Amino acid sequence: MLAGGEKAATLSLSLLAVYCVWLGFFKVLEKSGLAGKLSNAVFPLAKKLFRTNDKEAVYLASCNLSANFLGLPGAPTPLGVKAVEKFYAAKNRYAADMLFVLNATSLQLLPTTVIALRLAAGSQSAADIFLPTLIATLFSSLLGATLVAITRKRK
Amino acid sequence: MKYFALVIPVLFLALFVYALVRKIKLYDCFTEGVKEAAPLVLSLFPYLAAILMLSELFERSGLSGYLTALLSPAFRGIGIPPEIAKLVLMKPFSGSGSTALLSEILAQYGADSYVGRCACVSYGSSETVFYISAVYFAGVKNKKLLKPVLIALFANFATVVFGCFLCRFL
Repeated sequence: MLAGGEKAATLSLSLLAVYCVWLGFFKVLEKSGLAGKLSNAVFPLAKKLFRTNDKEAVYLASCNLSANFLGLPGAPTPLGVKAVEKFYAAKNRYAADMLFVLNATSLQLLPTTVIALRLAAGSQSAADIFLPTLIATLFSSLLGATLVAITRKRK
Repeated sequence: MKYFALVIPVLFLALFVYALVRKIKLYDCFTEGVKEAAPLVLSLFPYLAAILMLSELFERSGLSGYLTALLSPAFRGIGIPPEIAKLVLMKPFSGSGSTALLSEILAQYGADSYVGRCACVSYGSSETVFYISAVYFAGVKNKKLLKPVLIALFANFATVVFGCFLCRFL
């Protein structure tokens, strides 16, 4: 059991190093207005995806998805919770399911934690994992979204 | 494959240049973000510690070997290395727990080995389905969770199979 505690302590330290780098990065991304631009770009697509014209809910949902895509830690959750509430309030269960499944299969641009853990384990090319992960998450999001869309009509 | 190592440095430089052009207080901004790191890690620590201690118990008591032995033929059949079976089973339940498992797998088999790479892709391309469902639908009454959760679990599992397959080529 003690060995487990020791592992937790060292792991936390290496995670601390990762989060320092990426939280700094994302703060700059947010403040420079790039993060906002990205959600604006996603908006028209998101409107179709969720089949609703509720501007506020779709905006929340697209912010949630783009924060997710960038891997902003902690940022997507409050947005997503609010969007799901709004979708449910409008009896749009389809949109709520879609948003949840997209989050649960989240498309990831930068698998930051994985890259850091690989570096910590002495990997020669830690970022190598970037491409297969991107393709795999793309696949899972498409699969999830398709399944939600297919099962929509059954009530 | 080598130029993928450049993706991250280039990304950072590009963002910093963009921020400077937009006249953002780059240094203040960056440090403000860094400040959030310590509280975040502290909030994760109890879960990490608990899971790692439990997984030690699981391992030492021999239960883990038993379960892996039981499932490995099935996993091997669909192309998932049996060494990462525990990680695949853990991921839907606990993000920090699977982070701990991933770092153990990388330490044991090496980050650049086939098993290590499969573990990385499986970890990176699947999500903590049960946790997310609990949080996202927390504010809703009369929720119907069965269908979306099943879809999410299925998509995640299919992706692990697909990811391990990709690791043979990429």
